[in-house]
Amino acid sequence: MLAIFFELVRNSGLSIKKFGLGFLLSMAWNPVTEDFGALTSIFGTVVSTIIAMIIAVPLSIITALFLVELAPPILSRIVGIGVELLAAVPSIIYGMWGLFVFAPFMADHIQPALGKTLGFLPLFQGPPMGIGMLSAGIILALMIIPFICAVTRDVFQMVPAAVKEAGFGMGSTTWEVTRKVTIRYGFRGVIGACFLGLGRAVGETMAVTFVIGNDHRISASLFSAGNSIASTLANEFAEAAEPIYLSSLIELGLVLFLITFLIQIFVQLWLRRIAKGMGDRL
Amino acid sequence: MSDNLTRPLSMEREQKRLLQEVQSLEVKISVKNLCFFYDDHQALFDNTLDIFQNRVTAIIGPSGCGKSTHIRAYNRIYEMYRGYRATGEVWLDQENILSPSQDLIQLRKKVGMIFQKPTPFPISVFENVAYGLRLHFKMSRGELAAKVEDALKRAALWEEVKDKLDQSGLAFSGGQQQRLCIARAISVEPEVLLMDEPTSAIDPLATSKIEELIESLKQKYTIVIVTHNMQQAARISDFTAFFYEGHIVEFGATRQVFTNPAKKQTEDYITGRFG
Amino acid sequence: MKARSLFARRLSDYLIKILSALAALIAIFALGWILSVVVSRGVSAFNLDFFTKLPTPPGISGGGLANAILGTLLITALASLIGIPIGMLAGVYLAEFGLDRPFASMIRFAANVVMGMPSIIIGVFVYTLVVKPAGHFSGYAGAIALAIIMLPLIARTSEDMLRLVPNSLRESALALGAPRWKVTLGVVFWSAKTGLITGALLALARISGETAPLLFTALNSSYWMRSPKEPTANLTVTIFNYAMSPYPDWKAKAWGASLLIMIAVLALSIFSRWIFREKKIRKG
Repeated sequence: MLAIFFELVRNSGLSIKKFGLGFLLSMAWNPVTEDFGALTSIFGTVVSTIIAMIIAVPLSIITALFLVELAPPILSRIVGIGVELLAAVPSIIYGMWGLFVFAPFMADHIQPALGKTLGFLPLFQGPPMGIGMLSAGIILALMIIPFICAVTRDVFQMVPAAVKEAGFGMGSTTWEVTRKVTIRYGFRGVIGACFLGLGRAVGETMAVTFVIGNDHRISASLFSAGNSIASTLANEFAEAAEPIYLSSLIELGLVLFLITFLIQIFVQLWLRRIAKGMGDRL
Repeated sequence: MSDNLTRPLSMEREQKRLLQEVQSLEVKISVKNLCFFYDDHQALFDNTLDIFQNRVTAIIGPSGCGKSTHIRAYNRIYEMYRGYRATGEVWLDQENILSPSQDLIQLRKKVGMIFQKPTPFPISVFENVAYGLRLHFKMSRGELAAKVEDALKRAALWEEVKDKLDQSGLAFSGGQQQRLCIARAISVEPEVLLMDEPTSAIDPLATSKIEELIESLKQKYTIVIVTHNMQQAARISDFTAFFYEGHIVEFGATRQVFTNPAKKQTEDYITGRFG
Repeated sequence: MKARSLFARRLSDYLIKILSALAALIAIFALGWILSVVVSRGVSAFNLDFFTKLPTPPGISGGGLANAILGTLLITALASLIGIPIGMLAGVYLAEFGLDRPFASMIRFAANVVMGMPSIIIGVFVYTLVVKPAGHFSGYAGAIALAIIMLPLIARTSEDMLRLVPNSLRESALALGAPRWKVTLGVVFWSAKTGLITGALLALARISGETAPLLFTALNSSYWMRSPKEPTANLTVTIFNYAMSPYPDWKAKAWGASLLIMIAVLALSIFSRWIFREKKIRKG
């Protein structure tokens, strides 16, 4: 782990020296003039991740709810296996599907509809190209749902039956028990699950590269193309001939490393605390 | 009414007095031919008995005899699980609660339940008691606080927690947690309180507190308590039903069941020859 | 004090139930959509040439991805050769010897963190470590990158599996006078074998679909591989390159390669689940 860090720092030395801290805040990305900045990539990573989380978190939680509380056992097993398989599908397959099937679908159906109804917001303006931030976010959401859902499901199953019975015994509906008892009981676990998903979304490469459009630009519209740290790396690595170009890309990698590293450290410490807390409680 | 309560008047005066007392009581719950099934396994067989209003009815019997199963039919909590079903009739006032048209939310508001292990929710003491109130009523912040305080007082817990209302319900001792659950149950003014071995998981001192509490609660509520502790049943209950392998062997006034049981099986159990 | 409307409470309960079923349906629907698209488009790319011939230059139809199929198999095999033994040894250390020592919990922590690292970071890392000093991309570098991804996965699952072996078994073997390493290798490994295989298969499934790290290490090539020291053709990077190309023939090949990868990955993960379940059932 430390080795990774040192290697990345060593190899991005050139660009760190040249651009300094300004690298993080510069919107420039011009291989011809050899002027590089990370801001567009960081922006894209943040935006696509936010979209993914907004979609994935509620969907995962209610899917977990369905699996644990509502579905008959057989259905629950089938859907459970389906969700697990969704996690097993390699990201490049998501990329293929996203680029050739989902993006055109977005362009033909979803985006025009959104533009018509919510077009007064700058978020939903611009030509419906299919590829872009919104599509990347949705595909990311699909990819992280299985992870969040699996952990959330385990957390829900750990809630003691007696406590749920007490909830129902007070005359609650299923949703009331879930909202006020089950989710509270597993709150920290659900948070941990969300951060696990966040870590995945931030570093996801191939699927995003396929659909995000790869454009070094910051735009208010979610329909427009952008890029993320990972997609920039994947896309431009092969063409990076000049040392400064390469070194800037590696520095981008370093930024991504630091972001995911922090998320991971947080998740691990958090999960460890939960494990302890559960031990005390039982 | 069970047979030993309707014997001819040739019995002793004591029993005559009991009989008169019983006749003056109102029946709160009337169970007729209740059978219960866990999938294909039958756990209760034709249970028939009456629960009297403002009295404490104890249900005793060896482990696994169906005591808990029996009272879990009174609020249909068993419906949380697949494959569990009950047949027969359980009349609460004028309603058969086993009928499919019974509204479960209303039923469980009327019939509160206390469980073997204390089951505080992982939220603050205040929120625990406010839980049921929030579910069923719309009220102002002030009203809510007053109701919570009232419930905690009636559960004899107020003095111990009044400065700790913001602490998690899980931060207290077992006995306090159990009284918190009682406060939570009585906050919504149920008519019946079901207690499923409420003192089996807590220490003797806390147990005696809860027994006192039960004594005071019966002014207002009809209480059914499942217990494996016969002394407890003798101490706190007015009526006792003895269960054995899913059948009601004997049901009657507690004094009579304990001092002069009608059935040999009851006598054997009470004198400790089995169970 | 007003009673809350039962109708409103019931309604929201009902709505949530419908929503949750819908959410589950969305997940299943997405899976079905993806699988069916990949299968329908991929199958049409399959023919004998696809599996046996070299790629053709752009614009000329025909040819196949035989070199990439071979390359992927080779890189994956190499990665497993490095990753599985080392990962299992680390798992043995954690479960049998390290237990709760600070060093072991540090390793465990690091393994968990690396497991959550994006694979592209691993790719960049191996690039700076292996590719740059060597001066060229190579199949070895690809295998190393994949092995690094496998390592923590295998270490953690093996640890968990080994821990499931009851202590009484170890004790009874030790009581017979067997040295500790023999006990570990013979008795403990043997009784945890299904779990260990499952872990290895799952790790294999994970890496066989990896693209990002290979982009920085093995790169790609349109020729038969002569040695892993050279840039090596592989399916996933081929998919990436071909999908981004303007040639319909290449795009079709990308779908074919996708189907191949998907079959391999899903088969591996379903198979590993299946043997794990078999074991559970037999144990009762």
